[in-house]
Amino acid sequence: MNPEEMKELKELIEFLKENKIGEFDLERGDLKVRLKFAQEGQSPDLASLARLLAAQPVAAPAPIHLPPAVLPEVYAQQTPAAEAAKAAEAEDASLHIVKSPIVGTFYESPSPGAPAFCKIGDQVENGQVLCIIEAMKLMNEIESDVAGEVVKRFVQSGQPVEYGQQLFAVRPR
Amino acid sequence: MSTHDGISADAFDLHALNESLARTRFAGKLHHFASIGSTSTHAMAQADEAAPDGDVYFADEQTAGRGRGAHSWSSPAGTGLYFSVLLRPRLSPGDALWFSLAAGLAVHAAVERVTSLRADIRWPNDLLLGKHKFCGILTEMNAEVTRVRHLVIGIGINVRQPEFPEDIRKIATSLRLETGRDWSRQDLLAAVLSQLEAEIAVLTSPSGIEEATTNILKRLEQKSSWIRGKRVFVEGMEGYEGVTEGLDQRGFLRIRTAKGLKTVLSGGVREQS
Repeated sequence: MNPEEMKELKELIEFLKENKIGEFDLERGDLKVRLKFAQEGQSPDLASLARLLAAQPVAAPAPIHLPPAVLPEVYAQQTPAAEAAKAAEAEDASLHIVKSPIVGTFYESPSPGAPAFCKIGDQVENGQVLCIIEAMKLMNEIESDVAGEVVKRFVQSGQPVEYGQQLFAVRPR
Repeated sequence: MSTHDGISADAFDLHALNESLARTRFAGKLHHFASIGSTSTHAMAQADEAAPDGDVYFADEQTAGRGRGAHSWSSPAGTGLYFSVLLRPRLSPGDALWFSLAAGLAVHAAVERVTSLRADIRWPNDLLLGKHKFCGILTEMNAEVTRVRHLVIGIGINVRQPEFPEDIRKIATSLRLETGRDWSRQDLLAAVLSQLEAEIAVLTSPSGIEEATTNILKRLEQKSSWIRGKRVFVEGMEGYEGVTEGLDQRGFLRIRTAKGLKTVLSGGVREQS
């Protein structure tokens, strides 16, 4: 994603914020963006979004070409955007990434309709189940291999994941 | 209970069962319950308490038998075979998927040996007679990134059910309904465990997993009418329909759709009428 497109996206987010739009979906070619603002009046985490998009491999400058599956929902943070940006920069390297050990379908809960194993902001223990990856009717419980706070979920429930794909970011404590 | 009662007439004889499994990892590791919530839930809990490879938990009745997703497994007392096998194979989590396919083939072979019935296999491992399902298999795994800690294969087989509740009558059957006679759950259990032992031995052979996987793919093609040319609907977030077009090298089902070739990773493949 080039700087112009980043700028456009930031402007779009500002526009959505000003107009108090709670959810927004964009599909343009292979690019899919989904924004969801948790609470009215709070800023989305621009810094996280920027880092996220900047981190994606870009085949050509234009048109925008990103694998749709790797763009997760962007959740609003509880802290003001500027503060979050600084915090995000500082904590990035220290975040622990939980990855999928198998190819399969990601499920956030033990069965449809049941509460999720964990939510963003939850404190989890080492060995605690975070999600299930299913393939061929084999359910693989994915555990956190660190104790800390779940700060990010990279995939949607029901979405296919590849071997080694990022599932969660946990801030170790 | 009188001896004419169906339940006591088909009681398990643990001693005989152990004898017949003498050459397998399962001998002396059979744990029987008159009634239990779910044999797999129990097995997973036992695995956390360091229960050994080869433990088998089976029950006359499950009060909370589970299927995939939100599905339950109807497990009335004394009529079905409900069991879970605990394994600790030295494999990577990715390779453990083969156990799911191998378990279906093991039950297929065991049912044929005991009853002479040739079942169909609906990918990945449902067993059907005609269009009706009589055996479901759900595997659960606990793994580190590079190795399996433990694997629990849960198997439910409808053996002696004379009928089914209204809500599953159209999709379920039992060996009794198909053949008009009752089969011994004990014989079936012994046969499935023997077949499973053979599958495990090949999958965990020191010479590597390739020989086993090639063989599993070949047998599935032979024994299942679902692998090629079947018009199906795939359930999921965005369901789609198409025609099955064989398995890929990992054992995933390929489906030719209007939008190209798709690969099914998890269950929920149903016949499209």
